[in-house]
Amino acid sequence: MDVASSTAQGFILAGKHKEAIPAAFHALRFGSAVFGPRSAQLVPAYLLLAEASTGAGDLRRAERYLAQAQWMVLGAPGCGAVRSRLQRGLGQLRVAEGNLEQALHHLAYDVYLASSTFGPRSLEAAMGYFHMANVFFRQNKMDIANSLYAKVTSLWCDRLLSAVQAQERELRSRSDMSPFTEDEDVTEQQLTEAQRAEGTRVLSAMLEIRSQARKPELGEMARVLHGLAMLHYLGLDLPAAGEMGLKALELVKQLPQQESLEPITRLLRLINSTPSHTK
Amino acid sequence: MKRQRTKLVKMNVLPQAILQSPREHPRFLQRTACPLSDFARIHLIKDKDGIDDYLAKNIKGLSKQEAAAHRNSYKKNICIDMLRQGYHESFSELFALIQKWNALREAAGPGSAIWQQKSLEEQPEKLEQLHHFLTRAEAAGRAGHYEKMYDNQLNLAYCFNDPEEKWLSNYFYEQCFNTAKLVKIDGGKREAQAHANMGLISEEQGNVMKAAKHYEAFYQLTDGLPWKDETGHTYYSLACKHLWRIYTLLADKMLENKEHQQAINMLRKALEIAKKGGDMKTEGEAAYCLSLAYDFAGEQERALSILNTSVKIFTALSDSSGLGRAYAAMAKILVSQGKADETVTCLGDFMKAAENAHLSQSQVDARVLLGNIYNERGNYNEAFEYTSQAFEAAKALNNLPSVGETKTYRGIVEAHKLMVAFKSHIEAEDPISLKYLLEWKENKSDMCTDPLTVELDKETSASKPL
Repeated sequence: MDVASSTAQGFILAGKHKEAIPAAFHALRFGSAVFGPRSAQLVPAYLLLAEASTGAGDLRRAERYLAQAQWMVLGAPGCGAVRSRLQRGLGQLRVAEGNLEQALHHLAYDVYLASSTFGPRSLEAAMGYFHMANVFFRQNKMDIANSLYAKVTSLWCDRLLSAVQAQERELRSRSDMSPFTEDEDVTEQQLTEAQRAEGTRVLSAMLEIRSQARKPELGEMARVLHGLAMLHYLGLDLPAAGEMGLKALELVKQLPQQESLEPITRLLRLINSTPSHTK
Repeated sequence: MKRQRTKLVKMNVLPQAILQSPREHPRFLQRTACPLSDFARIHLIKDKDGIDDYLAKNIKGLSKQEAAAHRNSYKKNICIDMLRQGYHESFSELFALIQKWNALREAAGPGSAIWQQKSLEEQPEKLEQLHHFLTRAEAAGRAGHYEKMYDNQLNLAYCFNDPEEKWLSNYFYEQCFNTAKLVKIDGGKREAQAHANMGLISEEQGNVMKAAKHYEAFYQLTDGLPWKDETGHTYYSLACKHLWRIYTLLADKMLENKEHQQAINMLRKALEIAKKGGDMKTEGEAAYCLSLAYDFAGEQERALSILNTSVKIFTALSDSSGLGRAYAAMAKILVSQGKADETVTCLGDFMKAAENAHLSQSQVDARVLLGNIYNERGNYNEAFEYTSQAFEAAKALNNLPSVGETKTYRGIVEAHKLMVAFKSHIEAEDPISLKYLLEWKENKSDMCTDPLTVELDKETSASKPL
């Protein structure tokens, strides 16, 4: 079930929603064989199916899966993580239907649940904010959308920065031949592959939006680029990381009020000092 | 409406009494009422049936789920409502404040004041206010109308008046301070207000230097400007008062460290500011403090001349407490200079002035001071006369602490008087004196009559020939 789920997730993140449907369906089948057909453990699988269907344009089917998930969640009200994802799924479906006001309601609920469950500065909350920003963008409420995108960027950058710092600490302790192989703190700060993929998708989308704006905000663009550079670094794509980092540095230098260059230069030093064959 | 009073910073050398004026956050803004939304009204109805009833009557066409949502936590509804409208900063702020409130509550533990109070999320009225002003502040800020953003934040600072909510109101004063720096269209009015409020917060937290910086900024921003607060005081006069107080506090620290010259310079600055502020009482106190510093530094003549100014001001104001302190200081200096006669003359002036101005408390104070002077010089009969008068006057005033104090003074003088008679009998070494002494000793153990007065009458008559 896990393999099927992550395969489906991968397809969705890559934008291949149609291919994701069979994989998600497999996840559901395995799940219901293991947990029984009415178990709340199946909710994530239903949500995946719904997301894939929404993405593939099959809204009626998505609606059905979500209704099923909603019904199962009602039986197990405790889990904030699942309920948050359910609201996100409902939100995405309403967006696809063009019902933006209702979509906002679901996404707001998603942010609320994610903040309560994972903390207000978590990546889970950032996901909800990102979807909300897209809706406001479609409604042409640019001031709200921009401030939300800025928030998403800052949430991601904060999180990435601590991941990079953890990595840095680990490298240092390794070079010191420290007996500690896995620092608990480091594993806690590390991002999963799925999170990295999600981050790349979100930050790239924002970079696109920012660069197409009539008056591109250089500071925001620099922050997005810095975030992407950190993501590439963590994914060990050093050439891409270096390129993004340099672009970010160039932008920051153009700003009237000089922001601190330190985090970016530090990242670039880190990139250059990492042997490139580790990939 | 309850108003917050900030705690006093303790003074160790100068008398605390001069800082007794209340120090509350000034009202710079008429509070805007926050209309109660339907949401809030529903949540103010406590029981479930009441809510359903209300919903059925007032909101037609409400589905079952929607009704359920209303019964759901009010905090959740407010959060979702804010987010849905794009007020994500308001949401983050509210969320963080609720978390902090709960953390403070946990940290304080059962039995504490904040524990007795409900958590923020269970107080719909407060959540409603936060919702109302936070979202307005965010909208204004996004549109670049920082003055409106500031006004909404200031309204929030005014919302939280209980002692256990003080951190919340301080938090919003701080937000105001950050916003005020961005306001460009009001000539610095809001920035001045924000400095005043931050000064009060710093002072209360015991950070006198930081408070001084804020008050100085407040003073500079309001110099020569006609702005007035809601009670009609000009900002400038407020600034002078705050700045005078903080300089006096700083001087007190210097006096504590025996840095007399610095203290004098500081108090001269304080006196200048007090004069500019136009409040006579403050000016009188400022002069008094400066004179004390001169006295500590050994410059008695200067101290006396400044004390004269202080006395003039307090006389004009009919300020008993100020007059009492100023004359006491004068008498102390004159005594230390060995000018006994001048001391008596000076205090006689005080007594006359007090009588002319019908200042009853000052009449008591003057007699106590005179009594003590005579007592120190060994003129116990005069001393007894004045302390008795002081005691009677205090009784007439029905001022209990003063009654106790004057009674004690009179007792001390009485004992001294008795000592004189006792000593003369011992020194006489004759049988009659011995008899007197024995009788007095016996009577002393008798608790039913007052042996002292009995003996006293006898002794005074007996000692008359001496």
